Amino acid sequence: MEDKLVEFANLLRQNGIRVSLAETLDAVAASDVTGLGERELFRAALRATMIKRASELPVFEELFDVYFSGLGEIIKGASKEVQDALSMSDQDFQDFLDQMEEMLKNHGEELSELAKQLLQNNNGQIERAMREAARAVRMQGIQRTIEENYFARALARALGFDKIEQEIKELREQLEKLDLGAGMKAKMEEYLDRRLKMLEDIIRKYVRQEREKRDMKAREEQRMNQLGDKSFYYLSDEELEKMREAVTRLAQRLKNIIAVRRKRMKKGRFDVKRTLRANMTNGGVPFHLKFERRKREKPQILVMCDVSDSVRNASRFMLQFVYSLQDLYSRVRSFVFVADVGEVTESFRTNDVKEALDVALKGDIINVYAHSDFGRSFRNFVTDHIGAVNKRTTVIILGDARNNYNLPHDWCLREIRQRARRVIWLNPESRNTWGFGDSEMERYAIHCDLVEECRNLNQLYRVIDQLVPR
Amino acid sequence: MFSSIEEVIERFAKHDYIASRRIATVIYLASALQKPVLVEGPAGVGKTDLAKVLAASLKEELIRLQCYEGLDEGKALYEWEYAKQLLYTQILKDKVTEVLVGTTGLAEAVDRIASEDEVFFSERFILPRPLMKAITSEEQVVLLIDEIDKADAEFEAFLLELLSDFQVTVPEIGTFKAKKIPLVILTSNNAREMSDALKRRCLHLYIDFPNREQELAIIRLKVPDAAEKLAEEVVNVVQSLRKLDLKKTPGISETLDWVKALTLLNVQSLDNALVDETLDTIVKYEGDVRKAQEELKEYLRKARTRRTGTETTGSSDDKDLLN
Ligand SMILES: Nc1ncnc2c1ncn2[C@@H]1O[C@H](COP(=O)(O)OP(=O)(O)O)[C@@H](O)[C@H]1O
Ligand SMILES: [Mg+2]
Repeated sequence: MEDKLVEFANLLRQNGIRVSLAETLDAVAASDVTGLGERELFRAALRATMIKRASELPVFEELFDVYFSGLGEIIKGASKEVQDALSMSDQDFQDFLDQMEEMLKNHGEELSELAKQLLQNNNGQIERAMREAARAVRMQGIQRTIEENYFARALARALGFDKIEQEIKELREQLEKLDLGAGMKAKMEEYLDRRLKMLEDIIRKYVRQEREKRDMKAREEQRMNQLGDKSFYYLSDEELEKMREAVTRLAQRLKNIIAVRRKRMKKGRFDVKRTLRANMTNGGVPFHLKFERRKREKPQILVMCDVSDSVRNASRFMLQFVYSLQDLYSRVRSFVFVADVGEVTESFRTNDVKEALDVALKGDIINVYAHSDFGRSFRNFVTDHIGAVNKRTTVIILGDARNNYNLPHDWCLREIRQRARRVIWLNPESRNTWGFGDSEMERYAIHCDLVEECRNLNQLYRVIDQLVPR
Repeated sequence: MFSSIEEVIERFAKHDYIASRRIATVIYLASALQKPVLVEGPAGVGKTDLAKVLAASLKEELIRLQCYEGLDEGKALYEWEYAKQLLYTQILKDKVTEVLVGTTGLAEAVDRIASEDEVFFSERFILPRPLMKAITSEEQVVLLIDEIDKADAEFEAFLLELLSDFQVTVPEIGTFKAKKIPLVILTSNNAREMSDALKRRCLHLYIDFPNREQELAIIRLKVPDAAEKLAEEVVNVVQSLRKLDLKKTPGISETLDWVKALTLLNVQSLDNALVDETLDTIVKYEGDVRKAQEELKEYLRKARTRRTGTETTGSSDDKDLLN
């Protein structure tokens, strides 16, 4: 069972669910407690130990079904089909199988092991033989539909299908000579035919199922990779939603990493001077102890986001990121601009991120349908908001620098930089296109400490990671 | 300890908690494997109650740590009782003078005092907070760490250490190791996601809103004098409310509050003028109340047409009989 659980954990991992070795061991321990007999209990044991996010539950349930019912269910289903084809009740079928066994005792000594199991409906044994054969032909490597035929043939060979076919044919001939009564004889003949066909079916379905298993993970993997590398320019609603979740996850991951990092260097030493000072009023009796605090001056962040159509998504995720990480900074202020600039800090403080984003991008604050005018926006910023920038502020500008041939007013950016700690520009456009057409990126770049391409989630994450105070 | 999953279900039922097999399995595993459980889910689905009932059904003490923003180790683990220490130094002034007899100079006096200071940094002067209590308890306890998502990530990191070795070191005294590993239940309303490290350490249980039957059963259990028809109607409406995009989706607690309020007002069915005025027991925000009113109206309208519908078929049946 351990091997199977390890393999299942791998399968989960390939589907984007992170399962650690410790959790796999927990799953082994838990399934020892519940036993394997009752399927739903076993399922619950794995669920509680391996799955730690509600959002991962559907994938788990799906994979559990595929993986654990898998072959067993196929075989059971196939044997039920045989029974139905012979139109027998459970009792009839059992009686029939007993007669079959009796018959095989006299006439089936030469049958191979698997042929016997097959004819006696020993599903467990059949399953085991199938798994062994699958391992022998390395079926776990199957990936594409066109490989199904190849693996089906390989599996049949490994099981000795031709031999079984031959054996069953001979058995059938022997039956001819026996005195069984016409009804019984016909039934047995039909049974033998169906059984052989059943083995074929099982092989085919098993191969298909294995392929689907791997395919599912391939598809999912591809989707996640694509999401990270997908350009912000065009996103479907569904992708937008997925991306939003991904940003939340990434932000949380970053926070956790930082929390652990900080925890390690937390409490300082006992601070005599501050303790005495703090307790002057108590006649120097130390009621309140003071410890040296490690100075960690939190930086201030000011984001300016271009929210014109072309880069709106990038801005959206940038803002979401910054606000998810809000408590890491002593102050976050945010501005949106197109041809004019407006502050949205307040609405982020009072609304949840999603609503605030909607407000910021809807156009109540500035006209978001205007043609981009970086120059004018910067000038207005310098006139109205330059006080927001001081030497602890990191200014992040997000925009494509496509200025519609308006005056660039790059002196404004110079002014901002002189007051700020540093200025970082993130451009959601491909680096190759900077400076062409109406792009003023090169002119503005002179006044920035750092200019980065930021076209997708992976790039955004890297940038944000750099911005987080260590 | 429980001997089976069925036993968990039974004992929980005795304490008025309806545990699904899914819940019961996780609880059973937790007690068998001695692992903490992280229970996640929306507000008001019985996460906190689960821990309480667990303690009650094992006849163990429940120790609860309610988390909040800014909760720190001092509030969760232990603090020195400075006031008490001070009081003792005052009372023992004469003794202190005695100790100092024969010392020459400040330095020597300080050394002398220092050699005795462990008296004041002993267990006697420690004020244990929930986590310390749980660790030092002689008997096994159920430790409920409620709404961990409200605490800061730093506190979570601290908790993680505690959950991995169940011991606490007080530098002045030494290390306390748990005599009996407590059964730990952590709950989270998902205000933020817990760290992977914490999740790895815990069994995981996600409790969602109950389905119709479960919710009805809970009402029957908790508000036995509610009219059956009322209970059913309330559940129908609440279940459909949960499908709306509300600012705060009602949990079981809200359902129970509503049924209690209506029963108190002697209301037998939702088709009653008083119902509108009680809506704020189930939804809290103004916008949500409006949506709930719409939903209720819609529900009553449908219920009415359904009723008149049955009446017409009823009368046509009569006609058939007559013919
Ligand atoms: N399965 C259940 N059986 C009985 N009562 C329940 C159940 N689930 C929830 N309740 C009741 O619902 C209310 C809310 O539960 P609570 O534990 O406070 O929710 P949470 O901690 O998830 O916010 C409580 O009165 C509780 O008794
Ligand atoms: Mg609670």
